[in-house]
Amino acid sequence: MLNAAPKGEIDLGLCDLMSMAKPNVEVRDKILARIGGKELVNCFQCVKCTSGCTALKLLELKPHEIIKLVNLGFVDELPSSDIIWTCVTCLKCVQRCPQKASPYHVIIALRNLAVEREAKVPEGYLKAVSQILETGQVDTYQKIVTRNMETVDRERLKLPKICQPKESFQTVFMKTMEEKTA
Amino acid sequence: MKMAVFWGCCILTSQYAYEMSIRQVLPHFGIELVDLPEAICCGDPIKSVNTFSASYLAARALSLASSTGLEDLLVPCNRCHFTLSETKKTIRDNTKTGQKMLGLLGEEGLKYDANIKMWHTIDLLHDYVGLKRIEKAVTKPLKGLKVAAHVGCQIIRYTDLGRVDDAENPKKLDELINALGAEVVEYPEKLDCCGAALLRSHVDSALSLAGSKLKAVQNLQADGMVVSCPECQLMFDAKQKDAGTTVGAKLHVPVVYYTQLLGLALGIDGKKLGLDLNQSPVDQLQAKICA
Repeated sequence: MLNAAPKGEIDLGLCDLMSMAKPNVEVRDKILARIGGKELVNCFQCVKCTSGCTALKLLELKPHEIIKLVNLGFVDELPSSDIIWTCVTCLKCVQRCPQKASPYHVIIALRNLAVEREAKVPEGYLKAVSQILETGQVDTYQKIVTRNMETVDRERLKLPKICQPKESFQTVFMKTMEEKTA
Repeated sequence: MKMAVFWGCCILTSQYAYEMSIRQVLPHFGIELVDLPEAICCGDPIKSVNTFSASYLAARALSLASSTGLEDLLVPCNRCHFTLSETKKTIRDNTKTGQKMLGLLGEEGLKYDANIKMWHTIDLLHDYVGLKRIEKAVTKPLKGLKVAAHVGCQIIRYTDLGRVDDAENPKKLDELINALGAEVVEYPEKLDCCGAALLRSHVDSALSLAGSKLKAVQNLQADGMVVSCPECQLMFDAKQKDAGTTVGAKLHVPVVYYTQLLGLALGIDGKKLGLDLNQSPVDQLQAKICA
């Protein structure tokens, strides 16, 4: 499997995770608070989310298992697992969940938790933060080589220049990074 | 109509063809675009790191749009459109998070106006301009052209937010293509995702998703694929070669933005629509249109 996590991480079943860990109600409630409600509790494991999951095909992401684990409080292992980083954010699970348990939002909350705990976070995401802090944008202006092998940029294409954010942005953006309640 | 436009990062820094073609086609329908005073990220790429920071960026973008004094805002990127919509809802619901964001915006001297109306390229053309006006404006009907539509994920999901088109059976892009005289091919993989969001962590999987969809489209024997999101275009066009290598297929699917196709049908020169910038073999498609 491409890019699969080392064996043992991805092959863990629901039972393995539950027999290894103790429920952590405090963290569970934190996650529930982050996604703004008790909807998670209403999940009745219909598996609609998993059966339509884009990442299931390639990376064996099973959103219904994640919901179940969080619901029962087995949340300590999840933030350090690679599985939470395999979600493609296609939002099909949010759309199709009959109980509004929105696995996507739970996965994003778990990723935030991983960052807070300084667990293994894919470098690309951290780079994005520093890039935004520096220029306000997540990408840098690129030169593109056309099919006729001509190198062009915004100026050459006569596209308008757009300014970087004013200085107050950096200060306030740093403040938002301290926030943990969203 | 005069409207503000929030481009996001992807369009301004590399997907120039989308920007060029939008700037070319909208004036044909009396729409004038006003750029925001600053370019910032919509926040989506850092949602995984800190959801609050991400929402703040989105709220900031909305405030910058209000600062233009205009009532309408065009957001041509699917991902930006989703993040801005979700943040708008957070503030509308008057949550603690929303109030905190408004406070921080105040620190920057920015004002948030809840009334600004958001558009994506697809609903702007379909609902505001209308199919009839587009049909009338077409000077070079694309008769005989058969294309596959790719709507993308985040402008159609999730419905509770109020989205651009139906979540399970989106039809607006198809109808817009039909309005140009071209034919749309249905295919089972229509709602499959391009995989762009995985580029930051699982590159091969991202390419594999794009590659499988392109392979399916190639098997349809269509003349090309039409998209309306800069990230989808990045995956299907710029990364088509790499995607092909990943899925073990030689791919040669012309991929264009809807606004590029519309521009061609309006008789606008391909160069002005940024067609030179597409990395996929769009000459094939252009030749078919000119034939």
